[in-house]
Parts: sequence; structure tokens; C-alpha cells
Amino acid sequence: MGGDHPSQECKAPSTPGSKKLRSLPLGLYLSGGIVALVFLLGLIAPLIPYDPAAAVDYQRQLAGPSWSHLLGCDGQGRDIALRIVKGTEAFFWPGILAMTIAVIGGAACGACAGYMRGWVGQAVRGLMQLLDTLPRLVFIVLLCTILDPGMYLIATTAGVLFIPTIAAICRRKVETLASEDYILAHIAHGFHPAWILGYHILWLQCRPLLIRQACTVFSYVLFVETALSYLGDYGVQEPWPSWGNMVAQTREGVGFWPWFVPAVMIVVSIAALLAFGNAIARREEAMR
Amino acid sequence: MKRIFLALLRRILGGFALLLGASFIIYMTVRAAPGDAIDAISPMGTPPEVKAQLMAEFGLDRGPLAGYGVWALRSLCGDFGDSLVFAPGERVMAVALPAFGRTLLLAGGALLVCLCFALLWAACNPGGSRRSQLLGASLYGVTSAPSFVIAVAFAQAVNELVYRLVDARGFVTPSWYPIPIACSSMMPYLFAGITLILSDGLLIDLVNYLRSELQALRRSPFIAAIRAKGARVTGHLLKNMVVPILSAYASRLPVVLGGVVIVEYVFTLDGAGYVLLEASKNRDFPMVVGLSVLFTALVILVNIISDVVKGWLDAREVAHGG
Amino acid sequence: MRPLLRVRDLTVVFDTAEGQRKVVDGVSFAVGMGETLGILGESGSGKTISSSAVLGLIDDTPGVCGGEIVFTQGDHEISLLEGLDTCVTQRPDGLYVKDNRRWMQHVRRVMTPIWGCGMTAVFQNPRQCLDPLERIGAQVEESVGLAAPHLTAAERMQAALDWLQKVQMRDPLRVYRSYPHELSGGMCQRAMIAIALARHPALLIADEPTTGLDTTVRAEIVALFHSLIQESQASMIYISHDIREVLYLASRVIVMRSGRVLEEATSEDLLLGRGTRHPYTATLLHAADLPTGQVSETV
Repeated sequence: MGGDHPSQECKAPSTPGSKKLRSLPLGLYLSGGIVALVFLLGLIAPLIPYDPAAAVDYQRQLAGPSWSHLLGCDGQGRDIALRIVKGTEAFFWPGILAMTIAVIGGAACGACAGYMRGWVGQAVRGLMQLLDTLPRLVFIVLLCTILDPGMYLIATTAGVLFIPTIAAICRRKVETLASEDYILAHIAHGFHPAWILGYHILWLQCRPLLIRQACTVFSYVLFVETALSYLGDYGVQEPWPSWGNMVAQTREGVGFWPWFVPAVMIVVSIAALLAFGNAIARREEAMR
Repeated sequence: MKRIFLALLRRILGGFALLLGASFIIYMTVRAAPGDAIDAISPMGTPPEVKAQLMAEFGLDRGPLAGYGVWALRSLCGDFGDSLVFAPGERVMAVALPAFGRTLLLAGGALLVCLCFALLWAACNPGGSRRSQLLGASLYGVTSAPSFVIAVAFAQAVNELVYRLVDARGFVTPSWYPIPIACSSMMPYLFAGITLILSDGLLIDLVNYLRSELQALRRSPFIAAIRAKGARVTGHLLKNMVVPILSAYASRLPVVLGGVVIVEYVFTLDGAGYVLLEASKNRDFPMVVGLSVLFTALVILVNIISDVVKGWLDAREVAHGG
Repeated sequence: MRPLLRVRDLTVVFDTAEGQRKVVDGVSFAVGMGETLGILGESGSGKTISSSAVLGLIDDTPGVCGGEIVFTQGDHEISLLEGLDTCVTQRPDGLYVKDNRRWMQHVRRVMTPIWGCGMTAVFQNPRQCLDPLERIGAQVEESVGLAAPHLTAAERMQAALDWLQKVQMRDPLRVYRSYPHELSGGMCQRAMIAIALARHPALLIADEPTTGLDTTVRAEIVALFHSLIQESQASMIYISHDIREVLYLASRVIVMRSGRVLEEATSEDLLLGRGTRHPYTATLLHAADLPTGQVSETV
């Protein structure tokens, strides 16, 4: 046969080109900066001494922003900026924990479900389907009713409940890649399946997806913590600060800054986390 | 026809097995309560005869599996026992089902409106241009906020702008209020719906999903082939979008049900989410467990329905063993 | 006689990660009434892109950036790329900028009366070129209905079955009721040919219609093209990387490489080795193992 070339027919590039590449970094740096700031606050928060009783000072009740209190004070005269920083403690390490559980568990279960054909794969697929049917927030509320747990248990549960989502994504990727020629070639060359699965498929191919999902899980923990603390019966209790229970001060009908600042922090952090995950994933995909 | 029927039967049986599995997880969570389970799950000051009844209902006097069997058999008949605190003496199902219906209406309706808007947005802004990127970014910033923040901001804004129309915990009708009372009782539902649509990143998630599906479809070879034969593309596009739209609806409904729990609580709407949180606060166990099972059953049911409709619309789904 | 289609200096540019690239660079050719033109070239030579440009099916930016395409419909000569220069500007650094939205609207307006009855196409990967959610019958009927809107439903069905018979389906009724995923690639390609020819086009563009099919099926499809085109007296552009298919079907051949036309010759001249020949064409002929002078027997 004449001219049966293996190279691909020249088609239009799948990403419409340089314009998209050029517009990437701004969003990436902006969201990355905010995420870095939140992480930094989460890291330094435990180092700052905070005594809830001593923080109350009715002299400066509802004081507006000033040089000594950058974001003003709340209804009990507590410094809002300090409480914002201290509030990161409530979700930071739980968020990291949930992220780790969800990503490692999801990648492992996804690889098993996609790669194994026998009863093990069948069982993992069934388990994933089962976990997927539990509505997350409802189940967390149920758990809170029974156990009255701390944020770490809630975060663990959230992480476990995110496993099926991540596993489904990994599984789809594994299934499409498993029949691709270069993976078959690796198998034929005698590489160990675990190495091919772990390195060539999960690390090289699924990494952008996993990063995006990790950010989603972290933002979900942030959401659950602030929501539960806002509702007031579970989560962080007064006088300890959380962004959620700071927003809940609207119920006392006090001022503007005390609820507005934490509300903005919540919205901006969640938006930045999701945007950061998307931007990183898209950049990794564009680099291919 | 027979093949479709068999696939349907298998799907329903699978859904039933899933429900059993999920309810087993819920049941085991109840049994995992620390210390003496019966003390942990009954509210303060419960009389001993009620405790004994609870114990029998939840099968706590037997082993885990036997206990689950007893509880599951009763639950299957729709009997989750009596409410303890939230609505003392009433059957759980009598309280939960109507509340659940209202919640479903709210969540399903909000998701439907959201989906329509997302579809319109995705069709009108195919992406790529700077304008649509900017629009997308602004939409992104607003709608990724959690529902309770949007609800609070909403309530505060209305409070400040319109004379105390909405309290963070309820709805206040001022004397000059122009809308008739019958309609104004629906206003909190409207606010809750708008909050649901605008929160938890739902809208931007749907827009992104539908846009990428639409783009993939527009670029697919068969659309070019239909163009080349001189036929109109719109009908084919719409028909091929039905399946993605349906699966978007089915997969996002659990997310909205999560959001609805909080939104109902914030706006004090008499729905399943509000009942769930109130019952949970008061440690009304039969109610909480009954509602959890209902929520789970709904998710499974919606998935089955969407799978069946997909199989009916797209013959490939059945062929691939759906 | 006026040619049916005249393409002059066609230029197509795409954005890539390394900047803009001209994938079609000043291509010119013409197709006469009732003539079959073969376009020969390896993968990436720009032959598929050229034909998509003629059909107005390029969606990517910047896409078509220059040239002239004139199509004769009835007594009218329609210039397909008229107004292109108002949508495209070339910046001082050589980059093309195009108002794609306006251009696409223009293309839709110009091409709508031409698509189908003027020119139509058969692509590669036939299984992906049929609407996956509709039965083959409905898709053929859509074509039949566009060509003859006055038919009743029963007549349309009969016409569709006739077309399926004409493309030599062994069991037209079964195919009529099948979905694309239930048929083989060869069967789908036959259905595509039926759909295209049911509109009685003046020009059929066959874009590598045999790629990915088995050797025996390829021969059948090529034979089908041969008989149906002769019967309908339509013009055809047959694009392939297989020199045998092109020489068998086409009376005139252009050879493309890296977006340029290297050589244009009649099939006879190519086979018999008459005239000067570009070294690349010679390589292609040599690789196909067609000894010059004896080719008429092999085809």
C-alpha cells in the first residue's frame, strides 16, 4: 500500500490555540495567591495565642476598621482580623486530611475498579456505587446526631464520601487508557502492572484530574465546617471562632463588618480553591 | 423489547440492593453510638417504656445482622416508628413524607430552572472569546458561594433595602406590602429557590458541563455530515443533548438536596431539610434515620429513572449492558 | 465549458501551540462538469482541510484566510469566499486575526442553498458520521425528503429502501431499521453514500472514504463509487492516500504535500510515465509497486 503513514492526519488543534494559553496565568496567579494566603493563615494560626475570654472588650464594641484593629471589632469588641486568622484552624488540617483520604482512596479504588476484572473489581465497583448513593450532607448530619463528633471525624467522613466521585473519574481514565497502544506496549515490554497503573496512568495521566478534585474536596470541607458552625448546633462553638459562626452573628443583628468580612472570606476562598484546581489542571493538560 | 425489559428489571433489582446496602450503613452508624446505644440515641428524660420500644424498633436487643433484619423489614413497610420530640406521638412517615414532597418540589424546580439557564448560557456563549471568558469568571465568583452565605447576604440586603421584609429566621410582612398574603406566603420559597440556583457552584458547574458537551457535539463528524447533506442541524443537536442534560439533572440532584437542607433551615421553610436539622438538634432518632433513608432512596430512584430514560432514548446504552 | 468548481490560491491557517501554521498554502485546482478529480497525498498534506474549506465546514480559528472558490450552480457562478477580506486582517507580524463569528454567519448564509444539492460529502470514519440516535432509515429518509419534499411518508420510505438497495445492501429492510452502532464500518459507509447521493448533488466530495475498512470492503466501496458516479453523471473529488484508488476513479490527479500542490496530471500520463514527473510523485508510484507502462492491466 502506498503512503499508509502512522502519523495523524493534520486536523485542527484540539485547544484553539495561543489565546487560551496567554490568558491562563492571570487567573492561575490570582487564585493561587489567595489559596497560598489561606494555607499560610492555616499554618500560622496555631502559633498565635488566643484567649477567648480575654479577647472580649465592650469598650470597643462594633468599632470600625482602624490601624490597631484592621478589620474592626464585633459585637463583643473582639478583633475581627484575629478571629479570621484563628478561624482557619477549624478547617485547615481537617481539609488536608479529607483531601488526602479522598485522593488516595479514590485513585486506588478507581484503579482497582478499572483494572481488575474478577470479583475484586466487581466488589470495589459495588462499594463505590453504594457510597455514591449516600447524600453527603444528610449523612454528615446523621453522624453528628449520633456521635457529636469533632471536625476531624466529619472531615474523614467527607473524604470517604468523596472517594466514589474521584474513583469514577480515575476508572474512566484507566478504562480508556488500558486499551491504548502505548500501555499495551508497556505490558508487552514486561513492566509490572502495578508500576504501569501507578506511574503511567495515575501519575502521568490522572494528575490534573486529581489536583482538581483535591481542591474540590478541600473547598467542600471548608463549606461543611462553616455551614455547620453557622447553623450552630454542631461544628465550632462560641466563644471559639470559625468563619461560619462569625457569619451567624447576623442573628444578633449587629453591624455590617462582623458578618461581612467572614462571608467574603468564605466566598473568596472557595472560589479561589476551585479556580486554582481548574487552572492548574488546564495548564497541565495544555502542556501535553 | 424483551432486552429492554430485562435491563429495566436488572436496574430495579440493582437499585433495591443499593438501598439495602445504604440503609445497612445508616443502621450500623446508629449502632456505632458510643456507650450504651439506647442511651445515646434517646433524648434526655425518655421514659423507660419508650426506651424499650425504641430498643425493639431498632433491634438493639439482638446482634447487628439480626437487628438490621428486624429494622429493615419494618422500614420496608414504611414504618420508621413514632417521632419522639419533633412531632411527639406522630408517625415518622406521616410527618416526613409531606415535608419531603415540598423539599423535592423546591429542589427539583430550582435545579430545572438552573439547568435551563445553564443551557441557554452555554448555547449563547460557546467560549473562547474574551467577553465570554470575563462573563464566565464573574459568574464563577458569584455562584461558588455556599448557600448559607448567599442566603444571609440576601436577607441582609433585603433587610437594608426593603424595610425589614425578611428576617434571617423568617418572613415579615409590613403593612404597606403590596403583594397579597396568599402570594407572600410563597415568597420565602421563591427566595430559597433563587438562593439554591445561585449557590454552591451549581450554575457554573452545569454551564461548564453543558458547554463542553455541546462543543464536543458540534465538533463531532456526524454534525459536519448532516451539514454537508443540507439538513438542519438544530434538531439533531437537541436530540443528542437530551441524554447529557438528563444525566446532569440526575447527578446534580443530590448536590441540590444537600444545599436544600441548609437553605430551608435558614429561611425556616417547612421541608425535609428543616425537619432533619430540627430533629437532629433535638435527638429525635426515628425521624432523622427515616429522613436519611428517604433521601438515599430518592437519589437511587432518580438514578434508575434517568438510566431507564437514557436506555429508551439511546439504543447504545442497552447494547453496552446498562 | 465552465468548470463546476474553481479553487485559486486557497490558504488555510490554524493556531497551534507554537504559533500559527499554514496547513494549506496557495492551493489551486478546478473540477469540470461530470469530471472526477483525484487528490493524492500522505497524511498531513492538507488534502482533507482543502476539501473541508471548499465545503465551508472549518470551524476553528482562523481557518480559511485567503483565496477564491467559485462554484457553478445552474447558470450562476457563486463566489464562496466573497467578503472574506473584510473578516480577516493580517497583522504586521504576519499573524492572521479573524472575526470568526461573522465569518461563520456568512458561510452559513452562502452555503445553505449549496449544501446537499450543490455539493455534498462522504467522510472517513463512517460509523461516527451517522447520527447515533437515529435509525439508518430515518437518516436516509431525511435526505430523500430534502430532495423531494412532496413525497408522502410511504413513498419516502420506499425511496429510502431503493437507495439502500442501490448501494448494494444485502438486506435493505434490516439496515433501514438498524442503528449505526449495530452495523459494520462498510455498511455505514454504504449508507453514507446513499444519503449523499439521494440529494442528487452536482459535486460529491469523497474524503478518504475507505480509510479504516478491510481490503475487500475497500474494493467494494470503490467499485460502488465508480458505478454510481457514472450513473448519476455527477462530478466528484476523490481524496485518498491510496494511489491505486485515485488512479482507478479519477481522470485527473493532483498530488499534494505539506499544504501545496506539487503536480497536476491526467491519470493516463501518470501511469504511462509521460511528461516530466515530480520526484515525490515518482516515489509514490514506486511505493505502490505499479510498474510504469503496465498499469492498465493492474487497475
